[in-house]
Amino acid sequence: MNEPSGLSRRRLLAGAGALFAGAGLAGCENTTTPVRTAEGGGGDGIMGDPTAGGPVDAAGIPLARRDYPVTLPRIADPVKAGRPERGGELQIYNYADYLNPEVLKAFGEQEGVSVRVTTFNTLDEAYTKLSTGRFQFDVIFTAPDHLPRLVGRRLIQPLNFDLIPNLRTEVWPELHSPFYDVGPRYSVPYTLYTTGIGWRNDKLGDFDPGELGWEAFWRAGDYRGRVGVLDDSREGLGMALMRRGVTDLNTEDEAKLTQAADDLIELNEIARVKVAITGYETLPAGRMWLSQVWSGDMLNAVISYLPEGTSGDVLSYWYQRAGGPVFNDCICMGANAAKPVLAHRFMNYLLDPKVAYDNFVGYVGYQPPITAIDAEALFAEEILPENLRNCIVTPEDYANGNAYLALTADGRRAWDQAWARFRNG
Amino acid sequence: MRRWGWLATPGLAWLAAFFLVAFYAIVAVGFGNVTDVYEPVPHWNPLDWNVGYMLQALDDLLPGGRSWGVFLRTLLYVGLALALSLAIGYPVAYYVSRHARGRTKVVLLVLLVAPFWISYLMRMFAWTNLLDSQGYAAQALNALSIDSLFRAVGLLDGDDWLGGQPIAVILGLVYGYVPYLILPLYAALDRIDQRLIEAARDLGASPAGAFRRVVLPLSKAGTLGGIVLIALPMFGDYYTPDLMSGSPRTAMIGNTINNAVQGGPDKALGAALTLLLSLFLLVFMLYYLRVLRREEGT
Repeated sequence: MNEPSGLSRRRLLAGAGALFAGAGLAGCENTTTPVRTAEGGGGDGIMGDPTAGGPVDAAGIPLARRDYPVTLPRIADPVKAGRPERGGELQIYNYADYLNPEVLKAFGEQEGVSVRVTTFNTLDEAYTKLSTGRFQFDVIFTAPDHLPRLVGRRLIQPLNFDLIPNLRTEVWPELHSPFYDVGPRYSVPYTLYTTGIGWRNDKLGDFDPGELGWEAFWRAGDYRGRVGVLDDSREGLGMALMRRGVTDLNTEDEAKLTQAADDLIELNEIARVKVAITGYETLPAGRMWLSQVWSGDMLNAVISYLPEGTSGDVLSYWYQRAGGPVFNDCICMGANAAKPVLAHRFMNYLLDPKVAYDNFVGYVGYQPPITAIDAEALFAEEILPENLRNCIVTPEDYANGNAYLALTADGRRAWDQAWARFRNG
Repeated sequence: MRRWGWLATPGLAWLAAFFLVAFYAIVAVGFGNVTDVYEPVPHWNPLDWNVGYMLQALDDLLPGGRSWGVFLRTLLYVGLALALSLAIGYPVAYYVSRHARGRTKVVLLVLLVAPFWISYLMRMFAWTNLLDSQGYAAQALNALSIDSLFRAVGLLDGDDWLGGQPIAVILGLVYGYVPYLILPLYAALDRIDQRLIEAARDLGASPAGAFRRVVLPLSKAGTLGGIVLIALPMFGDYYTPDLMSGSPRTAMIGNTINNAVQGGPDKALGAALTLLLSLFLLVFMLYYLRVLRREEGT
């Protein structure tokens, strides 16, 4: 594999500087200024974090793992409790279609504000826009593996959990102090998901990935052109890794990643895969028959995307019970939030069982980690189709699952370059 | 001339603000660097330029490089799409300009302009439904056995038009851009003095001969202009392959750049690839300008 350009530049600097003397190559560049922490800057330079010692990300923050919980450095004091701000707009930054508009409307009416959602397509895009400092959001939706860099760039601020009592009373105990944000300090969990295989059981007959697992994709030559892989470097390569029995989905082993990219290229030869994240629409529409999907997208497909005359019974979902990807998204507060107290109230509101239920079943399709929501009952009452029972995440799944977590800078580059090789076809 | 020069000011200001500055931003990113958290750092001062990404991009595009295959595929797709567009566009433009009369001509002209009323993206989105297995277009193609014909000659693999078929991408490009070719072609053909053709016929040229010796040479600048006009966006296109196929098997260089810039680690590499592609297209452009100048000279 070719050497990454950033590195080759350093190599150029070291060895062949004279060759480009005229170009005036500037000195080492790292615009990521590690922040000083409220706890003081001692320790080994890893933001004063007592858990120093493990691998760190580019901002110098330790990489959280399930067996290596990380307390994120406190970069400021949480806001004091106070009267919620009224009037004006509550600014929310989120994916599109990831909040029930009815739920937002009700919150706005309850609090006397208008709620405005600005959307992003990817978390990378969100991070890039946030780091320009030109946006002011009260509530920011993100994923746990993005927390370190949001903290590292001071784009979010610590929360006052006295203002979010529902976290302790309504949320799964497993997520009261999650390994990625011990305390917690910056985040409340939003929804849960697994990554699995979605398929059209009316098209694929007795297809069952239960035996083959992810290998099923590499045997899908009969459905070529109707096979989908998620347009996400971690998920796509991760699927190829799991097919080979790799259990560490955060490996930075170049040989494994090269093999994974080779496997995906082979898969493309076999099945002419479509690389997209639109399975929630293409599967119910019948355009795709077999696709790597997120569990919530399958329920979302039933809730919002079934074409007329198609029943939700045609969709099936499989999830690798042991070691498959399972994780949650989370909610934070913007560093320069104009309505900090209201932002807290909004998070608390989303963790209210009734609100969370309406948001889940009424629109989003992604399950919240709320104890009072009995997923089994949803099938018993035929609110969700029985054949999609696998889409429900249980506390056991969460405990036994795997997750794509933050990597070191070099590790992420290795993943992305392996992915780019596949995407070039 | 000088008195009216100020009239160009708004246009020049517009170009400066929205082309030159934007283009220089790409240059600065392409010759810049990327932080460890993958944010591009533009190097605005040419003295600070970092050539590492440019060399990497060049290496990628040369034979054996990471993007060489994609580049070849792009050349092939664009070449075929241009040939098909010409084969479709030239006769249409020729008929409308030289043979259509009165009301028919007006109607035809309106029809030629009609596609411009709908955005390119919307027209492509429409095809994703039309070419879907239950879509009207796919059903019509199947009813006419065109799918079997295409399959027989190896242009279609399987029965799904949208399932990663190169032919769908090429036809998508043709469909999307052919109106942009026809209009300049029409303008060029319409300008040809009818009397020149009549003179050729009077002097003994057959209809085909008159076409070959008079019409074709006189429409050369317009044809090249139309080709340049559609070739440039085709080379940078990434949503046509995305919508018509979405498979890496049909990825074009625009997809590679899009992937690098959208979420990848090497945004500077994406910018460098963009600059190299621009350089490549500049060669086309210069050839066109040379032809144009020669025509004006005669």
